[in-house]
Amino acid sequence: MSTFNRRQFLQSSAGLAGSVAVLSAFGGPAFAQDKAIRHFWWGNPERDRRTFAVIDIFNQKHPGIKVSGETLGFADYFTKLTTQIAGGNMPDVIQQGYGVLFEYIANGAVVPLDDYVGKSLDISKIDQSAIDAGTVDGKFYALSIGANSHMAVLNTRLFAQAGIVPGESFDPYGYTYDELKEFSAAIKEATGVPGTDDNTAEYQNFSDFVVQKGANLYNEDGSYGATQEIVEEYWSTWAAIREAGGTPPGPESAGLAGVAELSQQGVVTGKSAMTYLWSNQLVGIQGLMQDKLGVAMYPNTPAMIPGSVVQPSQFVCLTRDSVDPEAATTYMSAFVNDLDMTKILGLERGIPSQSDVRAALQADLSEVEALSVEYFDKIQGKTAALTAPPPSGSNEVEQTFERLAVAVLLGERTIPEVASDFLNQARAILARA
Amino acid sequence: MNKFLRRNFAGYAFLSPWLIGFFLLAIGPILASLYLSFTKYNVVRPPQWIGLDNYLFMFQMDQRFWKALQVTFSFVIISVPLKLIFALGVAMALDKGIRAIGWYRALFYLPSILGGSIAVAILWRQLFNYDGVINSVLRLFGGDGPYWLSDPRYSLWTLIVLAIWQFGSPMLIFLAGLRAIPQELYEAAEIDAAGPVRKFFAITVPLLAPVIFFNLVLQMIEAFKSFSGAFIISGGSGAPLDSLLFFTVYLYNEAFSFLRMGYASALAWVLLLIIAAFTAIAFWTSKYWVHYENERG
Repeated sequence: MSTFNRRQFLQSSAGLAGSVAVLSAFGGPAFAQDKAIRHFWWGNPERDRRTFAVIDIFNQKHPGIKVSGETLGFADYFTKLTTQIAGGNMPDVIQQGYGVLFEYIANGAVVPLDDYVGKSLDISKIDQSAIDAGTVDGKFYALSIGANSHMAVLNTRLFAQAGIVPGESFDPYGYTYDELKEFSAAIKEATGVPGTDDNTAEYQNFSDFVVQKGANLYNEDGSYGATQEIVEEYWSTWAAIREAGGTPPGPESAGLAGVAELSQQGVVTGKSAMTYLWSNQLVGIQGLMQDKLGVAMYPNTPAMIPGSVVQPSQFVCLTRDSVDPEAATTYMSAFVNDLDMTKILGLERGIPSQSDVRAALQADLSEVEALSVEYFDKIQGKTAALTAPPPSGSNEVEQTFERLAVAVLLGERTIPEVASDFLNQARAILARA
Repeated sequence: MNKFLRRNFAGYAFLSPWLIGFFLLAIGPILASLYLSFTKYNVVRPPQWIGLDNYLFMFQMDQRFWKALQVTFSFVIISVPLKLIFALGVAMALDKGIRAIGWYRALFYLPSILGGSIAVAILWRQLFNYDGVINSVLRLFGGDGPYWLSDPRYSLWTLIVLAIWQFGSPMLIFLAGLRAIPQELYEAAEIDAAGPVRKFFAITVPLLAPVIFFNLVLQMIEAFKSFSGAFIISGGSGAPLDSLLFFTVYLYNEAFSFLRMGYASALAWVLLLIIAAFTAIAFWTSKYWVHYENERG
C-alpha cells in the first residue's frame, strides 16, 4: 500500500467521521481491525498536553482501538459541536459541563450509558454523588471527571508586596466584599496593580452572590430566582470596590466581559492581582504564570451564607453518533479508572470522583495540585447545596447579563435601570426557550 | 436523448462538477434555509413548522434585531462612501505616471488581501487596545487615547477604519477606469482654462460614473455582509453594548450560540431582501447619474 494508508487517513481526517460511517457501511475488513474513536474536549494548553498523552497510553494498551483527540477553546467548542450535531458527525466521546449537559440529554444528542455499565464501562469505584449528578430520570448519561467549585486565585507576590497576608490580613475561606474593597485598594496603592478583577459582568460571581443572599438562581419551576434588589446590590457592591480603586477602570473591565480564556484573565495579563475561576482551572492558569498563585473562596456578605457549590466539573459523554459505543465506553472507562492514565490527568479537570484514583494521586501531587486538594478540604461545610440543573435558555440569560453589565461598567445607565432591564429580558428568554 | 442534449452532452458533462456543486451546495441550502425560516429548529430535534412566527417576533418583539439593523446601516452608510472616496483618491494619485507603479499598486492592494482575514482582525484589536499602538503614539504627543474597543462611542469607528483600509480592489477598478478616460478631454479643458477641480467634476466624475456605480454596488453588498472583523473584535457577541452587533454577527449568535437555526434562517432572508432592495435602489437611481458611452441620448 502507499505511504498514506487507510488507517492514517482515518486518524488525520477527524472531521470526516461522517464519511467513515458511510465507508464502513460498505464493509471493508480493513476497518474492522481498528475501531476509530474520536474524543473531543475544550481545554487549555496544559489540559491538551495531558489528554493527548493519556490517549497515547490508551492506544498502546488497547491495540484494537484507535482513539484520536480533538480540542478547542471553550468559546468555540460548543459552536463546533453544534455544527457536528447538525451534520450527524459528533465525535464518539465528548466533554460536557454541568450546565449545558442537560440540554444535550433532553435533545437526545447524548445517549444513556446503562447498557454498558458493568461490561465495557466500570463505575464501581465512582462516588455515588458523581453518578447521581450524571443521572436523569433514572438513566445514567454522564461520567463525571472530577469535582469542582468556585475559586479565587491571587498573585502571592503582589499580595506580599502590599503586606496583605491571606490567613492573617483576611480569612481566605470567609471574607466580606468590604474586606475585599479594603485590601484590593491597598494593593493598588502599594503595587500600582489593582487588587482584584472587576466582576460586574462576571455571571459566575453573580450566581454565587444570589445564593449568598438566600435566593436560588432558578426556582423549582424553572423561573428566574434573582430579584431586582439582589441584582442592584451586586452591582453596587462592585461599583464601591471599583470606586475605591480596587479594580481596573470600568471601560477596561468592559472589554473583558464574557471572555473565558485563561490567558486573558487579570492575574495572567498583570492587570489585577486576583481573578475568579473554577477550582479545576488552577492548574491550567498557574501553568501560564511565573508568580505563585494563592487561593481563596469568593467573597461573601457579612451573613456568610454559603454561595459556592461543589459540582462535577466536567463529564465525558457518549454521543448518539458513536459508531462503536462499546469501544467508546471502553475508552471512557479507562479515562476515569486506569491509574496510569489518571495519573497524567492529575487534578487538572477537578478532584477525581473515583476513590482509587484519588488515593493513588495523593502520593505524588505537584505543589499546585496539593493546593487544590487543600482548598477542597478547607471549603468543606462552607459550600451551598447543589440545586436543580439550569433550564434551557440559561446560557442566553448569562450572556445577556454580561452584555448589559457593560452599561454599568461604562456608567452609561443607572444600576436600577439596567437591573430591571436585565430581569425583564431574562424572563422573556426563559419564556421563549 | 434529443438532438440538443446529444450535441451538448460533452459540454454539460464537463460542466457537471460545477453544476452539481451549484445545485447541491448553493441552491439546495438556500431553499432549505427558506423552509427553515418558517420553523423552530434547534439542530438536534427535527424542524417544527411555525408559519410566520419567526418574522413576527423579529419585527414586533426583538430589540436586538433593530439594534443590529441600526449598527449595520451605520456601518454601510459611513464606510462605503469613505472607502470609495479614499480609493478614488489613491487611484488618481497613482494615475500620474509614477515610476515603479506596479509596486505601488501591489502595495496598496495588499491590505485588501489581508484585510478580511482573522489575523488582521486580531491585529486590529491589538492596535486599538487601550495599551495598544494607537494609544502609545497618542501618548507620545501628550494625548490620552480612549478605550477604542470597549467604549461604544468609538468601537464602530475602528471597524470603519478597517473597512477603509481595504480600499485595494475598488482602487484597482478606479485606476482602470481612469486610464480609459481620453486624455484629449483634459487637454481640451485645459485650453479652456479649467482648473483641477473643474476638470474633476466635469470630466472625471461623469466619465467614471459607470465605474463608481459598479464599485458602489459591490462595496455596499460587501459591507452589508461584513462579519469577521466585527466578530473577532467584539469577541463574537457584538460587545460593547451591542455597538458592534452587525446583522451577520447577530445571525451567527442566534444560530450557533442559542441554536435557533429557524430564526437565524429568517434573519438571513431578511438580510438578503435588504441587500436586494438596496441594490435595486442603487440601480434605479443610476438612471439619473450614470451614463454609458454607447447610450443614445
